[in-house]
Amino acid sequence: MENLEVINITKTFSLSKKQQRIEKTKTKLKVAVKELSFTAYPGEIYGLLGPNGAGKTTTLRSIATLIKPDTGEIKVGDASTLKDPNGVRAKIGFLTSELKLEEHFSPNYLFTYFARLHGIVEEKIEERKEILFKKFGIDKFSEVKVGELSTGMKQKTSIAISLVHDPDYVIFDEPTNGLDVLTARSVTDYLEELKNAGKVVIVSTHILSVVEKLCDRVGIIIDGEMKVNDTINKVKSLDETGNLENVFFNLVEEAAQLRGEF
Amino acid sequence: MKNILTIFKKEFYRVISDRRLVFTVMLLPGLAIFMMYSLLGNAIGNQISSIQEHRIIMYQEYMPTAFKDMLIANEVKVDIMDLNDSDFDVVKQQIIDGEVDIMIIFPNDFESKILDYATQDNPEILTYYNFTEDYSSSAYNTMYGWLDVYSDEIVKARLDAPEDINPFDMDLDNPYHRLGTEDEASRKGMADLLPMLIIMFLFSGAMSIGPDSIAGEKERGTIATLLVTPIKRSEIAIGKVLSLSLLSLFSATSSFIGIILSLGKLMQSEGNVSIAFTTNEYILLFLVLFATVLVIVGLISNISAYAKTVKEASMLIMPLYFASIAIGMMSMFGGEPSTNPVVYLIPLYSSVNAIIQILVGSVSMATILVMLISSVVYVSILIYMLNRLFQNEKVMFKK
Repeated sequence: MENLEVINITKTFSLSKKQQRIEKTKTKLKVAVKELSFTAYPGEIYGLLGPNGAGKTTTLRSIATLIKPDTGEIKVGDASTLKDPNGVRAKIGFLTSELKLEEHFSPNYLFTYFARLHGIVEEKIEERKEILFKKFGIDKFSEVKVGELSTGMKQKTSIAISLVHDPDYVIFDEPTNGLDVLTARSVTDYLEELKNAGKVVIVSTHILSVVEKLCDRVGIIIDGEMKVNDTINKVKSLDETGNLENVFFNLVEEAAQLRGEF
Repeated sequence: MKNILTIFKKEFYRVISDRRLVFTVMLLPGLAIFMMYSLLGNAIGNQISSIQEHRIIMYQEYMPTAFKDMLIANEVKVDIMDLNDSDFDVVKQQIIDGEVDIMIIFPNDFESKILDYATQDNPEILTYYNFTEDYSSSAYNTMYGWLDVYSDEIVKARLDAPEDINPFDMDLDNPYHRLGTEDEASRKGMADLLPMLIIMFLFSGAMSIGPDSIAGEKERGTIATLLVTPIKRSEIAIGKVLSLSLLSLFSATSSFIGIILSLGKLMQSEGNVSIAFTTNEYILLFLVLFATVLVIVGLISNISAYAKTVKEASMLIMPLYFASIAIGMMSMFGGEPSTNPVVYLIPLYSSVNAIIQILVGSVSMATILVMLISSVVYVSILIYMLNRLFQNEKVMFKK
């Protein structure tokens, strides 16, 4: 399996007047991500950290081919998001809070539906369904409509559906959001399983303890720029006490000073 | 093709597995139309029979005995009262209030003036009725007719040869002067009314599910889940358009059945309207309706993909809906299909003309083909545009 490489991507959005008011700015363009690069390796979990609006979601959406970077390139194995977006989509399992499931359908129906769209043969669909539904305890509510499920059940269903095609590259944005401790644990355990299976895993999260426990490499994005990109131990060593939280806050503070907020 | 079918089945299942949607999209239109038209037909029928059965309440002054006898002899349903006993203004007010239907005042020297017509001016009969009131208007028409007959009788009496009053006769011995068939008459009636209703129902059927299927998916965030799958955007577009078209066609069929079942009552016939469509006409009608619904769904899908929310989509579709009704209304004034082939290139207007052709039974295959082929071209363009919209991140993810 090959690496997932984000090479020097920049993405700019035009702001509507409403957004300008919210962001308290008069500029019509916002640089969401600026010349950002990192590499995620097979058999490792890459943690993407950053405060709200730092550019994490834009980066993940660019990898998932939902948006196109203005410049730069993303290579998912041998497929480029620009030249072969469908090839990239076939390789990745993408989960973000933005991706919702249709409330009218049951997890069982949606799993089969998305499996078919991924071109999986019928026998294999049932096999995958059995494994993932058992893993996340979905079999207990597989015929209940998504609209009637709790947030945790919905999140579990979303995770199972994002992994329907057994992707080699797994990109999860805040995968433990809204989950109780037990369910969150089952998700992080499964991410470790995926890592041990040699898959490339990228996780974006606010929970630093999860990053410390799970990730082999960490990238910290602030104001659209990659401030730190290294192994977890090297990143932690940037603070005298080896505390990831301190490293993170120091970088956020530095960025704020540069913006003249302090 | 497999992916198109998967999208198609899911979109179709979304509607048919939801009892509320099945009721509101497929059953309600037909049921509502049937009930509405039946009630309307019954109301009109009741009104007509009520007027026919109503006994006219008439006040008169100086009415000649000959005219009164004529009314009695012909069993005209009228109660005649003398004005002499009442006040003119009171009766006038009673006519305004709907208590009296008509008042006829003859001059007191009416009969002498009629007899001495050579030297006298024509006597003037004064009639008073309330034109805003059905019984009164009907009473006026009845009495006007009988006064006309009475007038003819007077003229006959003045002639040496009374039979010469009619210089010619018309169709006394011609039982075939009414050419055409009941079928043609029914077809003509349908061609006046149905094209507009069909376009309206096709549009409202597509409107009831189209915005939710695309703008709704954007609003709820489920479209992004679909867009990260490795299928072509064009497959999503085709799958959605085909599924929505079939569902809209079901909705329109429900409305169509509602119209057919209630048309007899609406047109005040005894049973159903007598129309015998041929198998070919049914097939052509289906093809024309399906081509039309594809164009309508294509338009609605593009607007829905552009809109941020279902509400915005519905708002943007409205002007198009009104325009389609206006196009449909054109059939109500004329009722003849256009023979100009260029007309069959204009979306929706071509559908209206093609439907009229089929309904009146004067099908021109060449123009129908132009309509069908041009519709397929328009749908292809609309699907291409929808495909582009699905690829446009600004449109898909704008907030």
